Parts: sequence; C-alpha cells; structure tokens
Amino acid sequence: MPQLRGPGILDTETRLVARAQAGDTGAFEQLAGAHADRLFAVLLRLLGDRSEAEDVAQEVMLRAWRGIGRFHGRSLFFTWLYRIAINEANRSLDRSSRRPVSVSIDAEVLQVPAGAQDEPSRRAEQAQLRQALSQALAGLPPDHRTAIVLRDVEGLSTQQAAQITGVGQAAFKSRLHQARLKIRAAIGDQALIDAGR
Amino acid sequence: MGLFTRTDDHEWSQQHLSHYVEGDLGRLARRRLDRHAEDCVDCGRGIRAMRALLRLIPGIEGREAIRAPAGIFDKVRSGGTQGTGGDGAPAPPPDA
Repeated sequence: MPQLRGPGILDTETRLVARAQAGDTGAFEQLAGAHADRLFAVLLRLLGDRSEAEDVAQEVMLRAWRGIGRFHGRSLFFTWLYRIAINEANRSLDRSSRRPVSVSIDAEVLQVPAGAQDEPSRRAEQAQLRQALSQALAGLPPDHRTAIVLRDVEGLSTQQAAQITGVGQAAFKSRLHQARLKIRAAIGDQALIDAGR
Repeated sequence: MGLFTRTDDHEWSQQHLSHYVEGDLGRLARRRLDRHAEDCVDCGRGIRAMRALLRLIPGIEGREAIRAPAGIFDKVRSGGTQGTGGDGAPAPPPDA
C-alpha cells in the first residue's frame, strides 16, 4: 500500500507533515502521493464510476491539503486520509442518491496480453467470478461495502478500518460479518467453493 | 446440551459463519457451531463457502495495479489554500 516504507517511515512522515503544514505543497504531494494509488482503488470500488472516482480523489486531496493543520499525528496519516476519502465518497453517493454500478475493473483497466492467457477457460471463470463479486459488492449498502473494501479487499486491520470509518471495532465487525453473509448469499455457496479451489 | 433446538442451532450457525471463519467466536460458541456443522450439510458447505469467499475477495481487483489519475493533485496546485473550506462541506476530521 504506502510507498513510504521501512523503519524510518514515521520519521519521514512526521517531517513531511510538518513541511506540508508549513505550506509546502511538494511535501504534501509526496506524503499523500504515497497512498494515492490505493486510495483511488478504494474510491473506484466504492463509487463504481471512474470519472466520479477521479473527481472525488481530487477533492479528497484538496480537503486533506486544506485540513492538514488538523492532523496531529495521533493516527497514521493514511488512516486520516482514508477517512476523508470515505466521507467524500459517501457525500458523492448521497448527492447522486444511487448505488454504484458494478464496474468491471478487469475489463476497464487490465490489458493482459493474449499470450499471457495460458489457461483461457480458467481465466474466463475467474473473470466471471470477479464480475459477480463486483456486482454483489455494488449491491451492498455503502457502509457494508466500505467494510468489505477496507478489510477484505485492502487488507487493513479491523482497528485501522474501524478508525477510518469512525465507528468502534465491534460495530465495524458487525457490518463486516453482515456484508460477507450478503455476498455469500448473492454468489451462492457452490459457486464460491468451486471458484475457491 | 438441550439448550437449543436443531432449528435454533441452524439459524444461529448460518448467521455466524463469518464470525466462525474470522475466529470471532468464543470457545463455547465455536463448539456449538462445530457440533452443529458435523451433522448439517448446509452449514458445513457454508463454512467452506465463507472461507473461499475470503480467499477470493482480495483478487477482485484483478492482477494489475490500479494507478491514481495523473491529475489527482490538480486542485491542490491550482490554489487550494490551507485552512479554508468554503463550500459547506465538513472539514476533515482531526485524527483520533
């Protein structure tokens, strides 16, 4: 996820935050840019529309830049940034009063060379399953969808994901479990078992 | 035993499959589900399906990395002033 890695990450992050708070946009871009790819992937998955995700991603960066003075280092920078992103995604969904369409990221983004398709039927099944999972995810209420994206797709810890969504860990887990049950129901047990082999 | 009927156990187990695979059940609750799943084909299959789901979901994005758009900092560069809001949107939260 973050490109700022290693034992010095917190020192580096602290220095960049201080410089950004002093008005250094370059420092802010380095700081936030380390999380930009994953943050955009989260927005794309939550909103289901590339153009909207791009607009919201710009808005997230603007709000983070404007509000960097409110970041005091009590959490990791990326959890603060992601929290802004979740809030902005929810505001965008509220404005459009819709659920996201099921975006097939595989079809839109992936340009896999034909030669790489060594097992065509297997790959077709996996693509079909990804599409089914995408549709099931898109059909969830936003708070349930957010729980799955942060925890199961992004692999964040429960503590981090709960912090980002602004709820306690127990409440977050409850959403997560409910969301998984809904996806399981939408896909079907046998399809999941077959695909998971 | 005898505290719960088979129907109670089945409905309860179906609602707790994610808790089970996540390790979020206490010892007694886990034993209750284990015992029920030994005899219940649906719940045994449900456990396998839930485990498969957790393996499959991380792959939902496909094999290639998603890249943020090149213009993600455009608004910041074009005059975003720190400490301002201006459009009625909530200010970014302080970190907890």
